[in-house]
Amino acid sequence: MLSPDAETTAVPADHPSDHELMIAVRAGDVARLGDLFERHQLPLFGFFVRLTADRTTAEDLVQIVFQRVLKYRRTYRDEGKFSAWLYHLARRVAADHYRRHSRTPIPADPTVLPEPADDAPHAGEQTARAEDLALMQTALAGLPLDQREVLILHRFQHLRYDEIARLLNVSASAAKVRAHRALTALRDRYFKLRRESPATS
Amino acid sequence: MNCQRISSAFLDHHAGELPAHEATAMREHLKTCLTCQREWADFQQTLNVLDALPAPAPGERLRQNVYAMIEDARLEIEAPSPFALARSRLDAFFASLLPSRPALQFAFTLAVLVAGVAVGAKLIAPSAPPAQVITRADPATQRELADLRAKVEAMDKVVASALEPRSTNSRLRTVLATLDPAHRDDDRAVTELLNTLAFDPSINVRLAALEALYPHAERDTVRAAVVASLPREESPLVQCAMIDFVVASRDEAAAPALNRLVANANVEQTVRQAAERGLAQL
Repeated sequence: MLSPDAETTAVPADHPSDHELMIAVRAGDVARLGDLFERHQLPLFGFFVRLTADRTTAEDLVQIVFQRVLKYRRTYRDEGKFSAWLYHLARRVAADHYRRHSRTPIPADPTVLPEPADDAPHAGEQTARAEDLALMQTALAGLPLDQREVLILHRFQHLRYDEIARLLNVSASAAKVRAHRALTALRDRYFKLRRESPATS
Repeated sequence: MNCQRISSAFLDHHAGELPAHEATAMREHLKTCLTCQREWADFQQTLNVLDALPAPAPGERLRQNVYAMIEDARLEIEAPSPFALARSRLDAFFASLLPSRPALQFAFTLAVLVAGVAVGAKLIAPSAPPAQVITRADPATQRELADLRAKVEAMDKVVASALEPRSTNSRLRTVLATLDPAHRDDDRAVTELLNTLAFDPSINVRLAALEALYPHAERDTVRAAVVASLPREESPLVQCAMIDFVVASRDEAAAPALNRLVANANVEQTVRQAAERGLAQL
């Protein structure tokens, strides 16, 4: 998963950038949306699956985002920030989702959690590691939505603070403070879960 | 660096984005502060486990759905609109009317053009220019027009003189000039004097205008104008002079106006007394 700008610059010269693809989609060549989907489906799915802790919901939300890209393609502006626009749509889709299902999700989907350890050598370490990851997943899912969102954008979508700030409509320093607070809250939750977990205590 | 600042800089330090001098200060602090050492270790462990969370991949269902959606949108865009369909049918209809060979098409177009010009020339007669009706006014109308023109010009001058910002001395000279016997029967001069009496801001000029009106006191219009100005006048001095004027001219028509002045408690005492004396003399 790359940051939005890195994604566009990482495309070889003979390949169109995200922005060029989106301009073509806007002009009516909607088949080029397939290319944009291939480039962005994984990070976008990661964003939603960590936000909702539910694979099926995350797939549905990714599809809704691309539906909206099609629907609002004429509103895309020539500023060359496709990823910023995409995540702006994604946040709106997530907000609509939570408005319809006004509850904080609990990680109930076992496929989101790490794979259980097998009987291979160092199985004990792997079990402990898997348990750690499961606790972290639970701690992350238990954070308030705004803290979870800023952490996901920062740690998994690898957005810079100024990019997060634009999405959240706050200053870069405020985005940094939010990320720090979210991480502190996550740390407290994670270690609390560790203390309470019989496997790690 | 204190412990709180150390803690708030953990994210930047972990990302290697802390300025060199602050990173050095942090390392020095961490060497000695056990609390921050523990905090830093917990922080690092949290980030390491968080970053190690697996990145799940979506199922094939998502790809199929999105590509189906794109295909639907493509078909919708490429489907001709009803307007485009109707237009292509109209084009085909008109095309079927024309001859197929270009030379014949040219000849047909030329023939239609010539026929159109011929029909147009026959049907549309050149329109005659609108006749100008000039009627000569009879002598009575011409005289009336001349009078009206003179009155309008006089009015223009009065308005212009009223609007023109002149000095008090200049206005006073103009008023005194009307005392010249040459202006005795000049209606325009009398009109200007009455206007000055009514509207001039200077008391001296209004008094001079009133003085200049004495030779014309026999005129009903002049006396009526002075009586009309009397209640509007703000200066008691000029009001008294106006009362003297109407008394001197023996204008009995001024009696009601003087009675109103006497009855009006808001009027200056000296003016009311002058009005009472005037009434007694009338």
